[in-house]
Amino acid sequence: MGKRNRWLMLAAAVLLLAAVVGCGSNDKNGGEKTYKIATDASYAPMEMMDKDQIVGFDIDFLAAVMKEAGLSYKVVNVGWDALMNSLLNGGGGEYDAAISAVSITSDREQSYDFTVPYFESTNMILTKEGSGIKSATDLVGKKVAVQGATTADTLMSGIMGQGSADLKRFDSNALALLELDNNGVDAVVADIAVVGEYVRNNPDKHYEGIVDRTNFASEFYGILLPTDSELKAKLDPAIKKVIESGEYAAIYEKWLGKKPDTAPLLKPE
Amino acid sequence: MDFRFEIVWRYAPLLARGMLLTVWMSAVSIVIGLILGLAVGFGKMSHRPYFSWPMNGYIHFFRGTPLYVQILIVHFGLVPLVLGRTDAVVAAITALSLNSAAYTAEIYRAGIQSIDRGQREAALSLGLTPWQTMRHVILPQAVKRMIPAFGNEFIVLIKDSSLVALIAAPEIMYWSNAMRGQYMRVWEPYLTAALLYLVLTYVLNKLLVYVERRL
Repeated sequence: MGKRNRWLMLAAAVLLLAAVVGCGSNDKNGGEKTYKIATDASYAPMEMMDKDQIVGFDIDFLAAVMKEAGLSYKVVNVGWDALMNSLLNGGGGEYDAAISAVSITSDREQSYDFTVPYFESTNMILTKEGSGIKSATDLVGKKVAVQGATTADTLMSGIMGQGSADLKRFDSNALALLELDNNGVDAVVADIAVVGEYVRNNPDKHYEGIVDRTNFASEFYGILLPTDSELKAKLDPAIKKVIESGEYAAIYEKWLGKKPDTAPLLKPE
Repeated sequence: MDFRFEIVWRYAPLLARGMLLTVWMSAVSIVIGLILGLAVGFGKMSHRPYFSWPMNGYIHFFRGTPLYVQILIVHFGLVPLVLGRTDAVVAAITALSLNSAAYTAEIYRAGIQSIDRGQREAALSLGLTPWQTMRHVILPQAVKRMIPAFGNEFIVLIKDSSLVALIAAPEIMYWSNAMRGQYMRVWEPYLTAALLYLVLTYVLNKLLVYVERRL
């Protein structure tokens, strides 16, 4: 009995020591600040959960940018509300920045700062084959589903009217697509990556994707910052560098399955 | 904390429309829930198992699963099955009514069973039929006891109706979410929504106090 206890004590001591050593090795860049970056990991393929890991284009891109800028950081999946609230009113909340496929708009710039744009987003119409819909203006008078608070929502609110009863805003693209499946709407408007993937994965549903370059102007994603954040000066040049190097194209191809057109992102302001 | 009243003001017409829909959906659901609940409650109290078992199951299901999931099942499953397409308002009223009925059923049962057994025995021994006993002796007393519990249930229903923003029924919470998305601000939409629900529940509460006093 006594002997067994001694072994247990030894094992416990070894474990304790290992834990202490483990902590030490994690802490080697001691005085340097670890930036906490918030995300809402529910927008595939930009950011999503793969079991308990946060993955996606934004996560890989952020890793490249932070490496370029020489900053240590941690991404936390906090959801949309906590993300916004933490960065409001000049920050001071728990998080220093957020990356979550956030489009740069003038309404939002009244309350936040953005880095330079790092991603060009275009929208696409998803509808049933033979619906006769050719462009976004054909959607007036039809019922349309979008994910609320996305660029698709902004664009369709502009075309159909913000208070239109025919424009249905859902919490996720998954629900908007389900609404189309159940004949609740005539079309879904969403990011080109979302629509493309849905058409490819559901050939039996006879859907088609419609591109409309005239009505769907590009919008750009930026990393969200509190107003007057010191991070902007550090991140902007790093973002430009990553986009200019081949690294951006490799991450883009990995998550979106095609080569990016980086020209609109790199044009001088 | 800076609170930007001008964005609330910009959404005021939409929030007003949303508030009307919340009132309409809640009112209809309360009425259907009361009627359906009466049937479910008496079914559960029945001594015949082919009545009481299904009603027991109904109450277990609607009280035991999240309303959130019930709304999704009704909107994307039940309503398309019947109508061939989705309809957010129909689905919202259906889900809220079905859910509410499970709770009102238990309120009816509790109210009726709270009346002392001796009263029923006395009434029956005086020669009243079971129906007369229920109608003239039990119910007048039971209803009075049920009112505060019903009030609770109605207030919960009004607040729970905010969940139907999930299926894009354009009520208060739906427009608050739209405001939140456009400006990416948290407190203006949520506090405005909270205030609107507070106004609705306050008015309902006054109404219930009035009814209770009249009885």
